[in-house]
Amino acid sequence: MARVLVVDDAAFMRKMVSDALTKGGHEVVGEAGNGVEAIARFQELKPEVMTLDITMPEKDGLSALREIIALDPAARVVMCSALGQESKVLESIKLGAKDFVVKPFQADRVLEAVGKALG
Amino acid sequence: MSDDALIRLGKSTSEAISGVLEMFAAGKVSAGEVSVIPAETNPMDSLALPAVATNVSYVDGVTGGNVFVMTLDGARKLAAAMMGMEQPEEPDAPELSELELSAVSEAMNQMMASAAMAISSVLGTDVEIGTPETKTFSEQAEALNVYPKAPHAVRANFTVCGEPCRLIQLVPNAFVVRMTRALAELGSEVTPASETAASPAGARRSAGAVGGGPSLSGIPVRVWAELGRTRMPSAQVVGMPSGSVVELNQAADEPIDLYVNGTLFATGRLMVVDGTDWAVRIETVLSSSNTSSESQMEVARWPESW
Repeated sequence: MARVLVVDDAAFMRKMVSDALTKGGHEVVGEAGNGVEAIARFQELKPEVMTLDITMPEKDGLSALREIIALDPAARVVMCSALGQESKVLESIKLGAKDFVVKPFQADRVLEAVGKALG
Repeated sequence: MSDDALIRLGKSTSEAISGVLEMFAAGKVSAGEVSVIPAETNPMDSLALPAVATNVSYVDGVTGGNVFVMTLDGARKLAAAMMGMEQPEEPDAPELSELELSAVSEAMNQMMASAAMAISSVLGTDVEIGTPETKTFSEQAEALNVYPKAPHAVRANFTVCGEPCRLIQLVPNAFVVRMTRALAELGSEVTPASETAASPAGARRSAGAVGGGPSLSGIPVRVWAELGRTRMPSAQVVGMPSGSVVELNQAADEPIDLYVNGTLFATGRLMVVDGTDWAVRIETVLSSSNTSSESQMEVARWPESW
């Protein structure tokens, strides 16, 4: 069980990811709807893991990931995106993401990725 | 010439988004006709009202607009299916709830991301999408001038949860030119291989996937042979130095697999022709019934790198 921050611009996806995590025994400590909010909430809440969408307004997930890893190189970030191109996956992993979940996904896949990031 | 490229664009998009819709509303999705909208027709004309329309633009790689239009009932049923409910909570409310709106926008986001990947593989470059925007129209007149005019438009019909939907792609000239060029290159690249592999069974299967007729028998299909596979953590891939050895799952004395447009089509033996080129001698052509849907799913998820 971990304290998780859920980041996605779609309220629906935040609900789906949060429901899946809660059912899996995790605590969703906060949500954010864009990259700027994600960085602010990350600093404020210090979650053990965060899920991060890529396509978002204001600041996209890859830019947010870069800044979050700069703030805390040990941050555990799981990317959750519909953009499953190899270039996005590889860029995320190079920037320091622990895993990459391609939407649409099953709840188990999110739990597995979060579990692995904690591992 | 450009109509061919437009129809191909519409069909590959239609296939990609059907796949995503099917994940959200299993067994409740069917793809219909793909057609080029004549220049004198407004693509947003003759909507079933009230209608919910979500648009997503291509923003990098290519430009163009995509509008997915559903009936209000259809949007609500899709949102319910995405949340794992059999029926909407408030089927008669005059407007979508905020969560329903968000679900429909997210469906479009995922559909267009999948379509962008399909188009990326045809064009050979990354295609990126913007964030979705959803609007509700209660009068036909409201919808007519909302989206920028484009020189070309393609329409793909669907039925989702029993309700009619359409995807309208608004296509600039530059996109058509690139698509036409890419298709021509793809056609010339695969000609020698398709002579061996595009037997009637293969043609029928690929035509079935796009809902077409006999005119599709001339469409080039992608044929490739697979030596083997493996899975490894992405971090290991990123950190792999030159000289590393990656073991594959196939035994060296086993036949190799031949794929046509992502479907396992035949197995055969690797050989060399003219002393220089690899070739495959077909041993067994698989009928569609013994190609399990599971294995097709598996292949479809692999990146289409060429």
